[in-house]
Amino acid sequence: MMIKKLIEKIEGEAELDFIFNNNNKIEEVKINFGFSRGIEKILEGKYPLDALVITPRVCGICNHAHLLATVRALEDGYRNAGIKVELSDKATNIREFTLACELIQNHVKWFYLTMLPQLEKMLQIENQENHGLKASYLSSTITKALAIFSGQWPHSGYAIPGGVTCDPTYVDVIQAEGLINESIQFFEKIIAGVQIDELLSMHSVTELQKIGGDFGKLLYLLGSSGMAEVGKSHDRFIVFGECLCFKIGKSIPTQVSRINPKYVKESVQTNSFAKSVSYKGRQFEVGSLARGMISKEPIVKALHKRYKDSLLTRVFARVYEIGLLLNYSKVLLNRLDLSQPSCCLGVGVVVEEFEGIGVVEAARGSLIHKISVKKSVIEKYTIITPTQWNLSQGDEREKGIAINAMVGASTIEEATYIFRSFDICSVCTTQ
Amino acid sequence: MKIADKKALRRESIIQVSLELFSSNGFHRTTIPDIANALKMSVGNLYNYFSSKDMLAKEIIKYTSETLGEKIKTINLMHITTEEKIYKIVEIYFVMAKEKPEMIEYFLRVYLSNREVFKDGCEGMICVSGFITEIMIFFDDGVESGALRNQDFFSAFGLFMGYLGGMVFLKGENVLPKDIELYIEDISRNIYNALKA
Amino acid sequence: MKKPRLIWLQSISCNGNAHSFFNHPDLFSLLSYFNLIYHPLLESSHSLIEVLEGTLPCDILILEGSFKEEGFQKNGIEIVEVAESYAQKAEHIITVGTCASFGGVFKEADPKNISGFVFDIEEKIDRYTQYASKLIALSGCPVHPKWLSYVLMMLVKDKPIPIDEFHRPQELYGITVHTGCTRNEYFEWKVDTKGWGLKEGCLFYENGCQAPYTKGSCNKILWNDVSSKTVAGTPCFGCTEPTFPKPNLFKTKTNMGIPATMPLGVPRRAYLTLTGITKSFRIKRFEERIISYDD
Repeated sequence: MMIKKLIEKIEGEAELDFIFNNNNKIEEVKINFGFSRGIEKILEGKYPLDALVITPRVCGICNHAHLLATVRALEDGYRNAGIKVELSDKATNIREFTLACELIQNHVKWFYLTMLPQLEKMLQIENQENHGLKASYLSSTITKALAIFSGQWPHSGYAIPGGVTCDPTYVDVIQAEGLINESIQFFEKIIAGVQIDELLSMHSVTELQKIGGDFGKLLYLLGSSGMAEVGKSHDRFIVFGECLCFKIGKSIPTQVSRINPKYVKESVQTNSFAKSVSYKGRQFEVGSLARGMISKEPIVKALHKRYKDSLLTRVFARVYEIGLLLNYSKVLLNRLDLSQPSCCLGVGVVVEEFEGIGVVEAARGSLIHKISVKKSVIEKYTIITPTQWNLSQGDEREKGIAINAMVGASTIEEATYIFRSFDICSVCTTQ
Repeated sequence: MKIADKKALRRESIIQVSLELFSSNGFHRTTIPDIANALKMSVGNLYNYFSSKDMLAKEIIKYTSETLGEKIKTINLMHITTEEKIYKIVEIYFVMAKEKPEMIEYFLRVYLSNREVFKDGCEGMICVSGFITEIMIFFDDGVESGALRNQDFFSAFGLFMGYLGGMVFLKGENVLPKDIELYIEDISRNIYNALKA
Repeated sequence: MKKPRLIWLQSISCNGNAHSFFNHPDLFSLLSYFNLIYHPLLESSHSLIEVLEGTLPCDILILEGSFKEEGFQKNGIEIVEVAESYAQKAEHIITVGTCASFGGVFKEADPKNISGFVFDIEEKIDRYTQYASKLIALSGCPVHPKWLSYVLMMLVKDKPIPIDEFHRPQELYGITVHTGCTRNEYFEWKVDTKGWGLKEGCLFYENGCQAPYTKGSCNKILWNDVSSKTVAGTPCFGCTEPTFPKPNLFKTKTNMGIPATMPLGVPRRAYLTLTGITKSFRIKRFEERIISYDD
């Protein structure tokens, strides 16, 4: 039996075909995306720097990650062509800070607009609280800190080859720090009910009891509804973006080893405008859980030991990452030495021919941009988004990560919730 | 005639006579009394129009610049090709060099050669802006229409003006074998070939 | 007073406008004036599937994203048809973002078939005459949240909104992005910034800034209540204009050093005369860095 369902509010929509077996359990899911805006084609023929303005328009919620992936691809290309590109620490730290802010905003929206309300709806729990208001408050606060350096969010263009365009003062830095402190207060009091330091130093599953607030509520609801152990997939993780406090590599399941981007392969899928992607032909999960596993965060590993790559572990890893990033963002601000230059390249640097790759960790996982420039214009541009990894259809050998996680679910509701736990970004997936 | 118009005419004739005297006797040797005398007006009255010789010098450069600028503006507004405009600009310049040599000579021999007179109140290019603006518009139109090669403004300006100034200087030294008007064709072709896209 | 029923419908979009609006500091008190029938992020009374049937009530229709006359569907239904059925019954239509207003970035994938809802870049398309009387365009990539809240509240208060020839509110788009930029003094004295990453200097002469001829209030109503592109050293990309995106956005097009595009409404002769004069003076304060961090 097959049931079609349009899933909405996933930064766009997707059409899922749920195929049930004779035991009324889901045995297969087909994920279809109906339209591609053709951004990779739009980029062909454009001046390389214009990609800094076009690629953020792939996505309204993770545009900043695209900007940083593009600038890294350009810098990689310049270096390959023999141009010296040496960013000052100041420029690097500012870029990292703004990236951290965007990730935090993403995670918070997913938590309050999707995970918590959808679970409450599924379990038919009356909710008196305005989850949207909390998401809006924290999102505005943290993107304000971001905008102090980038000029605006969404869609800034402040990262350029060689560094950043901004020239902040300590007035700006202190204001940004104040906003981070506000966000930390909110995280500690309302989201997690526990201090960040305490959260980050947890290392056993029993310590989860200390978590209160809305996060505690979500964990409790997952546990008590039997949803904690569903959503397991291939237990295989990968992280490509060298940035923030993350480590790169792959983890199968707990064995961490090195990776080489040359084994990444993108392919067209039938009946969908989304392309699939694999590493050495296998399916890998990207995102907060992957990052937690490869960085070997103690509490993430402890949870994983007990629950594997289930819904609970995945959800935990992401909310945990909010605390991690809030903490790290303060470290970045403290490191800033404003006497350093913001940008090491001038106006009008033209490199006529180059190829480069830029990788960054976006909220949902590794984001890869590849650029090829000939005769001063873009010849080819490739974008591989995190959701492409998690939502690949898979092949005869194995199903895709999210699909595999949904297999075995008894209801469409349950499967849809598992699907949403991967935080799908429809616009990114199809570009 | 209204008093304002009378005064304007008077002012112009002072400038014109000054130009002629500077040209024939030299800038430093010409005095305000000399100029007043030539106009049959009192020195005091002349000072009503120009408070000092330096002031007069600056006003003259503005005047000549605006006069030349107005002529180039007329050419800029014509619906002809860039190549034709170059011809007309060179023509204006050379015809003026022939009919009113004192104007062009003033620029070369007084303005450029006595910077200390002009440094206060004629900083940079402010006193010649009437002329410079029209040359900028000519270049802007030329590049926009695709006729001229896009390049640094001063490279193009130096080529155009240096060339014209050089020819006028040679004329002033009586070195040119032919009448200066007979050089318009060749000079404009050379300029066009050097600047074209 | 009945609350106006609001539907936020997305066409070919990146969702940037929805996320920009979500950051409005007074979002929830603002929304309390409306009956939110559908919004792509927020909790609303109906689902998208219900909206796509085209039969829900709608007083204010907000459109985000560019339009294709056919070939862009959700759940098997052409979005342009859904947009039209709500546009017909709505009292007011607001196109948020440059894509919905003029075509924007996504038009470039299929220039012949993709456009804004009633404008195709600067041209009025067939649909224009039908909806012009109730249409407000809030171009920008993305739209600023406070520009949208301004329009929504004006509609609630039933006040007429003065608009320009592209239906953009004059109170927001009557000035240029240049107004209020922290680098204005450098513009006045034609001191261009030396490269990138300096708070000193103007971005108009070499760095591609389009603020002097782009309509918008970015430097008056700051972004995220705190900053703007030009304050952060990024050139304005002209995103509120029908021509967005132009090519080569990080470099000023010059003809022999003269900016190819003049500040809005300023004749070239006037601009060049002024430039000639200001460039003749060197103002020491504008040549120096404002802050020195050396001991």
